[in-house]
Amino acid sequence: MGYKCTRCKQKVEIDYEYTGIRCPYCGHRILVKERPTTIKPIKAE
Amino acid sequence: MEVDILELSDRSAKFVLSKVGMAFANGIRRAMVADVPTLAIEYVNLYDNTSVLYDEQLALRLSLIPLVTDLETYMPQAECTVCGGEGCPACELSLTLSSEGPAVVHSGDLISSDPLVQAADANIPIVELKKGQKLVLEAIAHMGYGRDSVKWQAGIACGYKNVPIVSVENCDACGHCAAECPKSIILVEESGAMVPEEDLLKCSLCRLCEKVCDINAIKVSFDENAFVFTMESDGSYTARDLILNASDVVKGKAEGLISILDQL
Repeated sequence: MGYKCTRCKQKVEIDYEYTGIRCPYCGHRILVKERPTTIKPIKAE
Repeated sequence: MEVDILELSDRSAKFVLSKVGMAFANGIRRAMVADVPTLAIEYVNLYDNTSVLYDEQLALRLSLIPLVTDLETYMPQAECTVCGGEGCPACELSLTLSSEGPAVVHSGDLISSDPLVQAADANIPIVELKKGQKLVLEAIAHMGYGRDSVKWQAGIACGYKNVPIVSVENCDACGHCAAECPKSIILVEESGAMVPEEDLLKCSLCRLCEKVCDINAIKVSFDENAFVFTMESDGSYTARDLILNASDVVKGKAEGLISILDQL
């Protein structure tokens, strides 16, 4: 699963076995999940 | 049955329907609200959405935009004889939207595959995009009925009341009824209180004038077989077309009932 660091904008892979979530490039601890490039169908209701 | 048009514009109408029963008047009202099919967005294919709105919220907002409907070109998907309900140009159409911030995305930004089908109002805001935010989508619109979802409801604010009858006898012109009337339609002259004919339909049948009259000179009642109808269209049809389509629906149902009874 690809994440993006909100400070340095680098793409980050998360190691789930390691307990802490942290950007390996800048150390920032807020990462956001990137939107997939596929088409997302939604029912409007 | 008699119809007397009081006001008629593209979006709203007011008319007096007389010499019919309440069940018929209510049938017309219900048909306008629930049984006249309209087009509305049913599915959204999102290519990109970096706006502040969730995808689902965005789809909901899009679905509530009234689309100008051509009843002769499109038919409800469940009743489509061409594709059997799988989706074809006879029962669905696509609209595309592509916008990049900074901008406010409006309903008029939707580009329809059918030039005759557009958003009824071009200035309905969908979402505000800040710099760098982007919205790209394709929306699929279907025909549907107001009884299934509010997004397919063509008639809004449809209602009726009985035509009021106000009679005054042996009035002492005290003026209490005129002071109490919330619609201010009662005039007091030397001969007594009276309601001008052009203001009579404004009466809300609240009967406050009756209650304050000490000598019971004023009586308020209503005609059981005459109704003041007010209705508005959401823009998918003109008010005139909506009334006609609702009448056709009632007529079709009555004919269906006759054909069933004939087979018995």
